[in-house]
Amino acid sequence: MTGGHRRILVVEDDPETAGQLVEQLTTSGYQVDLATCGNDAVSQGSACDYAVITIDRMLPDIDGLAVMRRLRDDGIAAPFLIISALGEVDDKVRGLRAGGDDYLVKPFSFVELLARLEALGRRSDTIAKETILRVGDLAIDLISRTASRRGKGIDLLPREFQLLEYLVRNEGRIVSRAMLLQHVWDLHFDPSTNIIDVYVGRVRRKVDDQQAYPLIHTIRGIGYCLRAPG
Amino acid sequence: MLLAKTLTSTTFKLALIAIGTFGVVVSAIISYVYLSTNAYIRSRSDRAIMAEYVELRGVYEQSGREGLINLVRQRTTDKAFAGHLYVLIDPSCAVLAGNLAEWPPTAIAPSGWTEFRGPGASPEGSGSPLVRGMINTFASGDRLLVGQDISDLDSFARQIEKAVISVVSLIVVLAGVCSILVTRRTVGRIEQINATSRAIMASGLDKRIPLRGSHDEWDRVAENLNLMLDRIETLMDEVKQVSDNLAHDLRTPLTRMRGRLEKAYHSRRFDENAQALIGDTIADLDAVLRIFTSITRIAQIETQVRKEAFRTVNLVEIAHKVVELYDAAAEQNGTRLTMTGSGEVLAIGDRDLIFDAIANLVDNAIKHGRAGGQVVVSSETVNGRAVISITDDGPGIPADQHEQVFKRFYRLEQSRYTPGNGLGLSLVAAVARLHGARIEMSDNAPGLQFKLWFSAPASTIG
Repeated sequence: MTGGHRRILVVEDDPETAGQLVEQLTTSGYQVDLATCGNDAVSQGSACDYAVITIDRMLPDIDGLAVMRRLRDDGIAAPFLIISALGEVDDKVRGLRAGGDDYLVKPFSFVELLARLEALGRRSDTIAKETILRVGDLAIDLISRTASRRGKGIDLLPREFQLLEYLVRNEGRIVSRAMLLQHVWDLHFDPSTNIIDVYVGRVRRKVDDQQAYPLIHTIRGIGYCLRAPG
Repeated sequence: MLLAKTLTSTTFKLALIAIGTFGVVVSAIISYVYLSTNAYIRSRSDRAIMAEYVELRGVYEQSGREGLINLVRQRTTDKAFAGHLYVLIDPSCAVLAGNLAEWPPTAIAPSGWTEFRGPGASPEGSGSPLVRGMINTFASGDRLLVGQDISDLDSFARQIEKAVISVVSLIVVLAGVCSILVTRRTVGRIEQINATSRAIMASGLDKRIPLRGSHDEWDRVAENLNLMLDRIETLMDEVKQVSDNLAHDLRTPLTRMRGRLEKAYHSRRFDENAQALIGDTIADLDAVLRIFTSITRIAQIETQVRKEAFRTVNLVEIAHKVVELYDAAAEQNGTRLTMTGSGEVLAIGDRDLIFDAIANLVDNAIKHGRAGGQVVVSSETVNGRAVISITDDGPGIPADQHEQVFKRFYRLEQSRYTPGNGLGLSLVAAVARLHGARIEMSDNAPGLQFKLWFSAPASTIG
């Protein structure tokens, strides 16, 4: 991501939350603009080219979803990250995510937010057209839905392949457990147990066992990251 | 429905007892009046007969048989003695004088009182008249009977009898109708209270018992119950507010703490030990935050707002996803996780919440089931109702604790040390309530079976 494209528009009406977001994002190296109501968001959003726009679902004047529609109508292509309180996650929000955007439920950890911003921002500047993705000696074929390391095939279930594909597409980025659930399983669900870890563990055994180096790394307390050494 | 409730209600039974008691008392009073009137009239007629008899006996004793025959003949033609009956017979039973053709066959006693049916029609035309008479057998063997037609008395008695019967039946009918009406009113009011209670149990504390504005004791009961409900609602709101505030107020600093720990964790200024400590602390904080999220989530499900997002969902598809997600966890535990049921088992509901509920049940089945055992998820349509069942072959739950496990934070003694926060089944219960689904827990001997019966109209296609 280029330095010039680390500009984010935060649409948030609650001053405390907004302050925290701006401060933390700025610390993380983003250039942050803040809009405190829907109308400001529409005018600011169309005036500048943002990498990502985060939108609170509930705004004092117009609904967050309406803001997004208006920006899309103005030809704004920036991805949206909807931040909504628990219980506001409805079919509308899920439908939007299917269109390429993402959502996050309050309260979230800041690392989770960063992971999602990175994933969204990356997608906005690289549109992968390749049918075979490679990370180190791992190659995954998006057409035949098969994976191999050093040319040796890895036997994966369809869902396991989807998980690996998501990790590969986000190569070098931290991917949280909630992101995996949302993007691999299409679920908004908070498992009380380490179900995702167990699942990733199984994929990891298939991908990393008896190989020169591991690809899937656990990021304690957050999630996973797929990266080749060096 | 209401009539059946009326007839079985306590008020009606009490009314019946009252009617019964009242009826017995009224009957007793009327019977007493009847008996004493009867006795009075009878004693008057007896005195008249006795006076006549004494006179006739005197004539016989003074003037002999002939004198008496004359007197009897005189009497039977005298209009002043109409209604009197006389018979004088000799020892061979031949009638010497009198206005009866023969000695009444029922009067066999040699002397004393007798009653018999006389000849001819009674004044009312209801069969032969009733006669009461005094008999005497003289020393010569002649027998005298002096009697009087007491049909009047008889019909009077019958009229009183009729009056008693009609009055008593009228009272019974009136009292019966009154008690049904009164009971109905009572049952109606009680039914309103019952209906409100059921509505409150089904959907929440927002219902109130309707008042009739009659300011009677029922309205007062309803008012007081409504006030009590208001109070409960306020208290519940306050408790909810407190726990929500608590969850929120604690969540904010905890989230901040987590952020700071994350920052420290990623700065890599510490040695490995400290790093691990920080990581563990973050994991613990996450567990706490997750509990808060679960509480908020259950509370939110209980507000029933999500009903608006209900769609037709396929339980088979949801079950398939759950099984797929938990496949790895089951494998790690050595449990065989399988599912049965194909095609479509349709229910109306929220896909995410149903997923959540089934996932919790499967999670429990794997965690608390037998290691190396098996867990079966099956979905089917039974009598138009969609059912999903989760069965394990583990130690199960004692029957007396079946209800308890749905309480928040409840943990069985045997699972005190398995991970989990005791909120899973509360969530399942909340989801079931939202969907109007019934949870059935049964012993699978060995193991436990959970069944979720959806009430929503379901149909099977394919």
